[in-house]
Amino acid sequence: MSLAVHYKNFKDSSFAQRITLRSGLAPAVVALAVIPLVFVIFSSGKLSVDGWLSLWTQRLPELLWNTLTLSVLVAIGCFILGVSAAYWVSRRDFVGRKLSIWLMVLPLTIPTYVFAHIYTSLLEDEGWLGQLWHFIFGAQSMAPELYNIWGVTFVLSLAGFSYVFLLVRVALSCSQREFEEVARLHGLNSFQVFWRVSLPLMRPAIAAGLALVVLHTLSDFGAVSMLRYQTFTLSIYMQMNGRDSYEAAAGLSLVLVFLSLTFLVLERFFRNRQRYYGTGKTGRVKLKKATRLETIAIWFWLGLIALFSFILPLAWMLSWSWQALVDGLITSVFWGYVGNSLFISVAAATLTVIIGLPVALYHARKRNVLSQFYLHASSVGFVLPGPVIALGILAFVLAVVPVIYGGFIVLLLAMTIRFLPLAIQAEESAAQQLTPSIEQAGRSLGATAWQNLRRVTLPIIRNGMLSAWVLVFIDTLKELPATFLLRPTGFDTLPVRIWIEASEETLELAAPSALFLVIGTLPILWFLMREDKNQ
Amino acid sequence: MSSIAVEFTRLFKTLTALLLIASTLVFSASAMSAGDATLVVYSGRSDKFVKPVVAAFTRASGIKVLIHTGSSTSLLNKLKLEKARTDADIYISNDAGNLQRGNTAGLFAPVTNKIAATIKPQFRGKENNWLGLSARARVLVVNSNAKDIDFIKSVFDLADPRLNGKIAITHSSNESYIAGVTVYMLSAGKEKTREWLKGLKRNSKGRVYNKHRKIVKAVAKGKKVVGLVNHYYIYRYLNKQPNAPIRILMPDQESEDGKPMGIAWNVAGAAITKHSKHKDLAMKFMAYLSSVEGQKIFAEVNREYPTRDDVAAASMLPPVGSFKVAPVSMYKLGEARNATIDLIESVGMP
Repeated sequence: MSLAVHYKNFKDSSFAQRITLRSGLAPAVVALAVIPLVFVIFSSGKLSVDGWLSLWTQRLPELLWNTLTLSVLVAIGCFILGVSAAYWVSRRDFVGRKLSIWLMVLPLTIPTYVFAHIYTSLLEDEGWLGQLWHFIFGAQSMAPELYNIWGVTFVLSLAGFSYVFLLVRVALSCSQREFEEVARLHGLNSFQVFWRVSLPLMRPAIAAGLALVVLHTLSDFGAVSMLRYQTFTLSIYMQMNGRDSYEAAAGLSLVLVFLSLTFLVLERFFRNRQRYYGTGKTGRVKLKKATRLETIAIWFWLGLIALFSFILPLAWMLSWSWQALVDGLITSVFWGYVGNSLFISVAAATLTVIIGLPVALYHARKRNVLSQFYLHASSVGFVLPGPVIALGILAFVLAVVPVIYGGFIVLLLAMTIRFLPLAIQAEESAAQQLTPSIEQAGRSLGATAWQNLRRVTLPIIRNGMLSAWVLVFIDTLKELPATFLLRPTGFDTLPVRIWIEASEETLELAAPSALFLVIGTLPILWFLMREDKNQ
Repeated sequence: MSSIAVEFTRLFKTLTALLLIASTLVFSASAMSAGDATLVVYSGRSDKFVKPVVAAFTRASGIKVLIHTGSSTSLLNKLKLEKARTDADIYISNDAGNLQRGNTAGLFAPVTNKIAATIKPQFRGKENNWLGLSARARVLVVNSNAKDIDFIKSVFDLADPRLNGKIAITHSSNESYIAGVTVYMLSAGKEKTREWLKGLKRNSKGRVYNKHRKIVKAVAKGKKVVGLVNHYYIYRYLNKQPNAPIRILMPDQESEDGKPMGIAWNVAGAAITKHSKHKDLAMKFMAYLSSVEGQKIFAEVNREYPTRDDVAAASMLPPVGSFKVAPVSMYKLGEARNATIDLIESVGMP
């Protein structure tokens, strides 16, 4: 067969078809993703002018201020923790380096409401930290309280800095040692190298990590509601639960959506302008051995972070889980909650990764205004709070497909929509490596569309899909507010149980449930880290 | 490339296996629960306080019960959205306001007159569409060692400038709190209540407690002088710490004009859902809840006041009749709820 025939086949048959199929799939996914947004716009449209005015004058100024200051503070907190840790582990070789990497990632397994709950318990007079405080500062002094912006910042920074750490570490480890070498050869000292070379190189990764952190902060429900700090999300939840109508809640959600979208667009804009290209022959970076003094300093800092972000919470969980075990509370009912949690998380992660693929591939190939739009539109799950997503889906299901109501599928749909942006983001960044020529080569060698997808495209973006799966799995495992509203009758997951137990102040099962969230995530994290190493 | 493909396939096989295992777990669990005729209860009351009475009912009748726990208000909203598709046969709320709102929305079916007659009329819905099962008083807890607080006679005194930084209150999405404010608003008027809320905001310095337990504790530890709580939180604390320096203060029992407002009263209760598919079983459940035995368990687990005349409250509680109660019917708590929330929001309480 001549090349010309190949080319003709390639041009007019399957390739063209494949594009149509894909360009049909992507908008279908986007349509699914925007269901909650449609609900919000529709409901807030019913809000009267007076309703808007009273929202505007009474609620918004305070909520805006609270939410924005919190986001900035948490971003600063995560920046300090995440970047410092990532820099040390990827630029120095020291005793226990691998362990320290693990310790920096493990906090991802602990949901924000568990952090909030553990630290408020620990700081009570009988809590470990409360006792320590009284021992050091005397019985009359008052241990610090978390029911303020600093407390929430503390909790959300501990819960979120790992995102920054992960992304920055990847950026540092595969990049560009040679730039630093050159700078050093030209006589810069190590601080100048960090400030003028390493930091700018890390900038895209830092921006992406902080974007994740800020979006998590904007939509966080667990920590702010436990610590009673009024952000948009908490206020929306209170409006939803206090009143007969959802209009005010929808109005507030709409403002929050605008806020988050502005932020997302800005972030993408800045990231797109800053692209750095390595030379390609990165290879394995040989790390500089840390001096003894450096080792001590590094471990002091990383140890401090690990102590508060993982070791102390883990110790609390272990101690109370032991108590629960002794009291005979770990029964088949408890294992039922574990099974429910694993089931929904595996199902949601798998479905989300598959559904996210068309949008990610479409953007990777086209990179035009439409594909950008798809990308932003499918981010709805990240910019709307969980309770609102749940409500939007509930309204949609009841109005359009009432047969599936009450079933597991509704919950699955909610999780998928909620965490679709995570999957798409991971898949899309992996798909950037996919140059059109590779795919075209596959096609021109006679592979069918399906073969090409299976044997060329998927293997290349496999790592991206894996991290997408892991991210969605972890977030679904921890998801609370949407699950609370949409779970089938009697279907309690671990987060739901933690919430019920914590709000009843009967804490017996909160600790083992939290412990199982950690344990359940471990093998998955291990998989992720192993992949990372292989790269 | 091929080794990657192999690994990829292996990964997906593992995942599928995991999914299968998990789904078996789930479906076996749901198969167990979805046997013949299970009564489904949407419960907004703490699991800890519902489980004992449910277990006793199942022992007595052999009828299985599935408890679906949430907050009273969100479960009511769920019922409203679900309409005929609901699984729920019974709705239990910790707050009369929600019961009445559900009644107004036509979500409930009445109980028989025979069952309703066991409960005092002021504690049930107008058409017997819901039954109040345990009553609680909104009272003050004060630190016994605190000085110069003799002027506190009324909840309205919490706004007194002398108490700046010394009061402990809960957040304003708490159902008991909203119900209390509703009673004060209906008894003392909107303007007086608005001024009072402003005073509360000032005196609490924007710091509210997310749990009533922590209010009692803060007062017991002397961090705060006075707190506004449901009566049982005080006795729950005293049960664990019998020597804690706290006492109950029944507010609004005396006033200069001789017409004190009385304390705010609220009930937890239950209703049969209109779309229940097991109305006969649900009726049995309601009969049990309002029986002497059921009433004892329901109220006693939480040291509340039973709503039957012939069941006495726990002995440590001030007996019914020894204090004045604000004459606000329970169903008003539902009717005036939105107005209350508007009022609280206009003040900007956290």
